[in-house]
Amino acid sequence: MSCACLFLLTSCQRGRADASGGKKLIVLGIDGMDPQLLRKFMQEGKMPNFSRLAEQGSFKELGTSIPPQSPVAWSNLITGMNAGGHGIFDFIHRDPKTFELYFSTSRVEAPKHNVRLGNWVVPIGSGTAEQLRKGTAFWTVLDQHDIPNSVFRIPANFPPIPAKGETVSGMGTPDLRGTYGTFTFYTDDATAVAGPVEGGQIVPVQVENSEVKTSLIGPDNSFRKGSPPATEPFRVAIDPLEPVASVSFQNQEFVLREGEWSGWVPVEFQLIPFFGNVKGICRFYLKQAHPRFQLYVSPINIDPANPALPISTPKTYSKQLSEEVGEFYTQGIAEDTKALSSAVLDDKEYLEQSREVLAEHRRIFDAEFPKFRDGMFFFYFSSLDLNSHMFWRLMDEKHPGYDAALAAQNANAIEWFYHQIDEVLGEVIPKLDAGTTLLVLSDHGFAPYNRSFNLNTWLLQNGYVVMKNDSTQDSAEPLANVDWSKTRAYGLGLNGLYVNLRGRERQGIVAPGAEEDALIREISDKLLAERDPKTNLPIITRMDRASVVYQGPYANSGPDLLVGYNRGYRAGWQTILGAFPPDVIEDNTNPWSGDHCMDSTLVPGVVLSNRKIAMENPALTDIAPTVFAEFGIAKPGDLRGQSIFEAATRN
Amino acid sequence: MFGSQKVKIEGELLEQAKQCADACGYESVDEFVIHMLEKEVKKILAPEDGGAAPSREEVKKRLQGLGYIE
Repeated sequence: MSCACLFLLTSCQRGRADASGGKKLIVLGIDGMDPQLLRKFMQEGKMPNFSRLAEQGSFKELGTSIPPQSPVAWSNLITGMNAGGHGIFDFIHRDPKTFELYFSTSRVEAPKHNVRLGNWVVPIGSGTAEQLRKGTAFWTVLDQHDIPNSVFRIPANFPPIPAKGETVSGMGTPDLRGTYGTFTFYTDDATAVAGPVEGGQIVPVQVENSEVKTSLIGPDNSFRKGSPPATEPFRVAIDPLEPVASVSFQNQEFVLREGEWSGWVPVEFQLIPFFGNVKGICRFYLKQAHPRFQLYVSPINIDPANPALPISTPKTYSKQLSEEVGEFYTQGIAEDTKALSSAVLDDKEYLEQSREVLAEHRRIFDAEFPKFRDGMFFFYFSSLDLNSHMFWRLMDEKHPGYDAALAAQNANAIEWFYHQIDEVLGEVIPKLDAGTTLLVLSDHGFAPYNRSFNLNTWLLQNGYVVMKNDSTQDSAEPLANVDWSKTRAYGLGLNGLYVNLRGRERQGIVAPGAEEDALIREISDKLLAERDPKTNLPIITRMDRASVVYQGPYANSGPDLLVGYNRGYRAGWQTILGAFPPDVIEDNTNPWSGDHCMDSTLVPGVVLSNRKIAMENPALTDIAPTVFAEFGIAKPGDLRGQSIFEAATRN
Repeated sequence: MFGSQKVKIEGELLEQAKQCADACGYESVDEFVIHMLEKEVKKILAPEDGGAAPSREEVKKRLQGLGYIE
């Protein structure tokens, strides 16, 4: 029996390999690799492998998505269609009837039906994770043609769609608390404000007899009435003399010196005694033992060895991978940028954490890439994107957040990560043979984010939004107090501008057709004319109308206008969720200092190959057709792009 | 202050509501119906009610980890 199964398995694998005709395609997806920075580092001799690839093959800019946000851009790449085809328009979408906001690519829902037993609420059935991206992923098409493939951490693929090959979900994968990353910071500093901060939670503790007793905060316990968070107690014994502490937690004990990170610590939250529990993993960092106690605990990640939600195909693959390379970050954006923005971690500490994320990715790459024999291999790296977001301020003296002292220490942080990616490429190039095509590409480039434009405040000041009561406008209640019976347009998301359209929005007042067209023209013209009083530069350089730039069944589901900010400008932090800060434009002093959510023509990505790229202006939507062409698969009829190795000019 | 309003439920819907109330541990059909109505009203009326959608702060908390929201 086992021999028969083995034979069958071998036959199937051979069948898939035969289907690829011995052809191999390697795709390295480098989020946020910017053509200007890459050229600069290449010219300075710091990217020898990229220089070699560009010299012997091709290096071109790659047209990004409208808007150039990662979920949109990667969905363009994945499906070969623009947002009208895959339905992802922004990080954040809204329900036009209820104004409920949600992350655009997936929705995690608790069980819909419960049974109450005293203080316990027992869900009937289990919660679900639903992927919201539409369209067909390129690896699904490869599966249909029996081309072997594996796809690691590609964004906008949580939960991972059914696949024959090995896939691991990436950006969009939540932590165990259902958020996109919530750290916890324990401190006995009386001046620290307890409670939630950006992307985290501050927990005050008391040190008594050199000991701290506190609790790890887990997922909301839907089994209990009111769904309070599940907690698990832990104890920290602090050495009274040395900067060392011992953490005791669920039959585990480990010692940390000040400034030291723990490895991955398995945690288990009991949701209902003897019945329901959920497993995760987290890392501890002892920031300070004396005189103040400061302990950071990472977001609690889904344990790849015991995943609480689906994160891989086959389902057992994440466990297999963790056994091979050790536990790893499973949350979609592993770099804890919010801990840096909240000043819980400083630059050095965040960099250590971020470097460990990359080290994990490289360990997985080093384990999996040598196994690649046939078909397609895709691997995604997040480091350039997140660290360009966080460290632009240290390499750009004009940035409002520039600090010469900090720059003296870490001005080359971004360059360091570029160099790491060059090393990865250095591992790949020697493996290339005549039958192998390599694509190294990014979803978008990067630019400084110096100034914030508060779109909703502008709409309010220009009469497009009307409030019920001026005295109660504040940022705490997004889109609260809006008088929908008089409001004609509103902003949501990083680039989205919506008309309050009759028949679509629940209290829409703008008639579709001529009235809508006139309003859109009027707002576009006014926004394009806006200049920054500080620099006299245009704030917005491009306004795209959805009905013009999107094609496909979902073209009318997203924003009506896509706001393309000038280099240096972005939607303000609070306007994104529909708030109305007092000033229309203000400096951005957040450590999150670089960005790309702007005019798509200003932040193209890159594409490099060991082969000649014949297309004059390749774009993300050409990548799926390129993959199909490599394996001789006819392009699905709804794709407008074509292989980048065929000569064509995009208008 | 707001008075009260009786709603008549009968036939198959009443039977189904009873089944749901029993299955989900509600003490009466009234309790079940009121709870369901509260949920739907909260969901539908929140934006124009001067308040955010009920999950707005929760949504913000969830999304902050993406980095793009303060």
